[in-house]
Amino acid sequence: MTLLTSKRAPRAQAKTHKIRGKVHLREHLMGWLFVGPFGIVFLAFLIAPLAYALYLSLFKKQLIGGTSFVFLDNYTKAFTDPSFLSGAWFVLRFSLVAIPLQIVIALAMALILDAVTSLFARFSRLMIFLPYAIPTVIGAVMWGFLYSRSFGPLSDVFGLFGAEAPDFLSSNLIFYGLLNITTWQWAGYYMIILYAALQGIEPTLYEAARMDGAGKWQIAVRIKIPLIAPALILILVFSLIGTLQFFNEPQILRYLAAGTIGTDFTPNMYAYQQAFALANFNYGSAISFALGGVVFICVYAFLFITRKRRSFL
Amino acid sequence: MTDRTSARARRRPQRYLPMQILLGFLVIYFLVPFWWVIVNSSKDSPGLFGGDNTLWFTDKVDYFGNLQELFTYGGGIYGRWILNSTLYALAGGIGATILAVMAGYGFAKYRFAARRFSFAIVLGALMVPATALVIPTFIMFSRLGLTNTIWAVILPSLLNPFGVYLMHVYARDAVPDEILDAARVDGAGEVRTFFQIALPLMRPAVVTVLLLSAVASWNNYFLPLAMLSDNRLFPVTVGLGLWQGVASANNAGGTSLWSLIIMGALVSVIPLIIAFFSLQRYWRGGLSVGGLR
Amino acid sequence: MKRRRILAAATALVAASGLVACSSDGDGGGTDASNCTNKITKTDLPVVTMWAWYPNMQLVVDNFNKQNTEVQVCWTNVGQGGDEYDKFQTAISAGTGAPDVIMIEMDRIPNFQIQNAIVDIKKYGFDAVKANYSEGSWKDVSVGDAVYGVPVDGGPMGMIYRKDIFDKYGITPPKTWPEYEQAAQKVKDAGGPQFGDLGANVPAVMMALQIQKGASPFAYDPAQPKSIGVKMNDQGSKDVLDYWGGLAKKGLVGTQDQFTPEYISGVINGKYATYISAAWAPGYLTGAGVGQGQDTGKFAVAPLPQWDTANPVQVNWGGSSFAVTKQAKKPELAAKAAYGLYADKESLTDGWTNQVIFPLNLTALNSPEFVDLKVKFFGGQQANKEVYVPASNAYKGMTYSPFGQYYFDAMTKQISEVIKGSVTGSQAADRLQEDVAKYAKEQGFTVQ
Repeated sequence: MTLLTSKRAPRAQAKTHKIRGKVHLREHLMGWLFVGPFGIVFLAFLIAPLAYALYLSLFKKQLIGGTSFVFLDNYTKAFTDPSFLSGAWFVLRFSLVAIPLQIVIALAMALILDAVTSLFARFSRLMIFLPYAIPTVIGAVMWGFLYSRSFGPLSDVFGLFGAEAPDFLSSNLIFYGLLNITTWQWAGYYMIILYAALQGIEPTLYEAARMDGAGKWQIAVRIKIPLIAPALILILVFSLIGTLQFFNEPQILRYLAAGTIGTDFTPNMYAYQQAFALANFNYGSAISFALGGVVFICVYAFLFITRKRRSFL
Repeated sequence: MTDRTSARARRRPQRYLPMQILLGFLVIYFLVPFWWVIVNSSKDSPGLFGGDNTLWFTDKVDYFGNLQELFTYGGGIYGRWILNSTLYALAGGIGATILAVMAGYGFAKYRFAARRFSFAIVLGALMVPATALVIPTFIMFSRLGLTNTIWAVILPSLLNPFGVYLMHVYARDAVPDEILDAARVDGAGEVRTFFQIALPLMRPAVVTVLLLSAVASWNNYFLPLAMLSDNRLFPVTVGLGLWQGVASANNAGGTSLWSLIIMGALVSVIPLIIAFFSLQRYWRGGLSVGGLR
Repeated sequence: MKRRRILAAATALVAASGLVACSSDGDGGGTDASNCTNKITKTDLPVVTMWAWYPNMQLVVDNFNKQNTEVQVCWTNVGQGGDEYDKFQTAISAGTGAPDVIMIEMDRIPNFQIQNAIVDIKKYGFDAVKANYSEGSWKDVSVGDAVYGVPVDGGPMGMIYRKDIFDKYGITPPKTWPEYEQAAQKVKDAGGPQFGDLGANVPAVMMALQIQKGASPFAYDPAQPKSIGVKMNDQGSKDVLDYWGGLAKKGLVGTQDQFTPEYISGVINGKYATYISAAWAPGYLTGAGVGQGQDTGKFAVAPLPQWDTANPVQVNWGGSSFAVTKQAKKPELAAKAAYGLYADKESLTDGWTNQVIFPLNLTALNSPEFVDLKVKFFGGQQANKEVYVPASNAYKGMTYSPFGQYYFDAMTKQISEVIKGSVTGSQAADRLQEDVAKYAKEQGFTVQ
């Protein structure tokens, strides 16, 4: 960093004395100098791996017979592979439930916290945000314990009503078990983003609305929510990307419920399993690439649908 | 912004009781796992598995013993993991932030060739799942002999397109062109203008990007899990995952790892919580910008 | 001013992290002695690296290093079973990062042998130790004529049970599987706990129980490496899956994943009357806090129930060996370590007194102290003499698959389906056959 600066500074200074026509060149140069370092990292750790994954995914490696070029066979296989499809279907289903749930909760909390200004509200804001500071892996470890029917609190809570505690790690309920973990983990973070956006709204707008006879509910629905729509869209995009590549939580809970959470539970886990446990990097890459493609298409489609509201792209 | 908030609060203090009660329940929900961890990291394994009251202490409260066990088990490997996590978070976070600040400023303030095209590509990259990159990056690194080194974890985490985007928006809005032009007219070089004029104006966003990328590195699991096989290089996430696996096989040789895992989880979350609370003022300001207007 | 300080601090941090980075750079290497979990005192000797997960490995390595004058072992635990194999597999793909010596369960040896990732150690001093292990043990670590591992421990199976529960409901240890079911029904009818557990995450147990009823899932001859026999839906395999699926459906056994805190907690709290497991289990249960305090001496062990008492079949679960990897720079030294580790009296005695291993080394296996040991976990019962040694002696060995990882994952999936009730045991066996045969074909094998 210091190296770059010292090299660049004299050149830039010398340039300021040159004639007008050259300013343009200088601007090109300076722009690229600022963007360049990131550009190099971008090429090395994003473009190159993507290209390489694409290349790898065109080959096939067998225990007997070695490696051979198969063109798009891995993709044909992936999109007819019940493991990949069921994993993709799971994350899609999960996204459809989890994302709206998290955002509705986050929005409700943000609106409440925007309206209530007591000391307790400020305390709550921090506490609700707290889980974001917990690595998802640790969060999953913690909830794994809490879900235990023998020594987690569930048995105590359900025992109060004389009921038997549900097993959130069983195949029937794992969906809800994971839903709870991700909501706990992310709702607070989304709430903070929405809250920050709400705080950025000019209070005079509320005054005007109140003059026109709008109630608190109407102000929330008619003014606050539309004004923070870009923030909502941003959150949606990020949660969509995050949920479609679900990995950490189920991977950790596998230690507790290997029967419920198979190695092909989500596409990302399946890709990991293929690449790192079965040494099939080619098929693993194909799955990764296919997943990346699906995510890209989903997000782009979403942004296209909401293009009128977004100011962020 | 803080000023405006407090001004608003002064004008009309709002204390809806039902809302506050609702908040109370939410806080309980969000805190229960922490409470469980705090209580249960005081127990030994019979207390943990045989105990009846899972949300309260047993007769034997032994934080010190468990802490000591945590930091001495396996030759004190846990302390090493925490240090590794810190190193990865700092190196990855600071590196990514420097790159993002420079690039965001560059995109916002210079009209250079292929600017729009490059920026569009960076935005497109926001949508590429990071984990899709891990497998090919692993093979590339293995060819270069970089797997199983700290660089395998640090280098890929320098990439933070969202940071670039955030800095771009912030620089565009918070750094007026007029000030930059004035500085140039006064004879300040581009680099000096950047450091003395632009950077101070961008500070809230810089802190935000720094925190976000440090948190991303700290939380990373997939990348180090794939890249590292030497457990002395593990960050704490992968390390605790390893213990979870070993403990699942009842395989710690007379030591019950479960108590250590719970204590380890508790200890590992403390640094980030402190960082977040102490830097609150900065990052909250930064989050409210960045395309959110 | 303030800004400059922040910048200075940031620069200092980057520099500092760079420094730390440089200083810890050397840790990435394979044979760097500073990586070890154990401490190497004879620093002038060459070092071989090793991965293993035996609970008492620290002591074993220290014993070896103390006694050896040619080579020192640098040991780390990179995870148990599957976790370690994933790491090893990754290192194989990367071409670097593997240790010199690695602990591998015997059923995984063909898996790594076919990838040429472990080496034949016959030429590195096999003859000197040949007599220390039985024919059968050597067979389990060999592929064809080549020897790929040094046998360390075995897993002859038995039925661990809670004496207090058996006494309370007036039952005696069942000798056959039908009796096992009757006893389970009796306990359930009397309002007692579940009789056992069907865990989806222990496919190796299901495999062993199927083999007990005559199954032979794989036929593989390394002389013809391209051809493999896959037979997972024979009548024996189907019967066993149907039997356990039935027990689960009737609520006679639990369906909890084993080795989880939930399961341990269940074992401690008397939720299961029996635990079908291997000779190393008591040590692991003790480590997790089972059978201590008021529960001391409540457990006992009986021989594994049989299908046909006239022709009893003994089976094996687990059992590991030390192998030398292809990436070992000095395979001869590595082989010395593999042969020597866990072969000294002190380590073996520690292993079997704490019941974390069932030794295959004949000096231990045949010693009267071992055979006559009154096992504390079983309240002084002579478990080795009564159950495990006879089971071990009657064990005939089996043929393992060159893609064990896939097979076990697929088995886990099917057991999970049986537990869910979405398929019957027989259907699960058919699906497993289809799945594994398909994978074998994809991998280029001719399936018979």
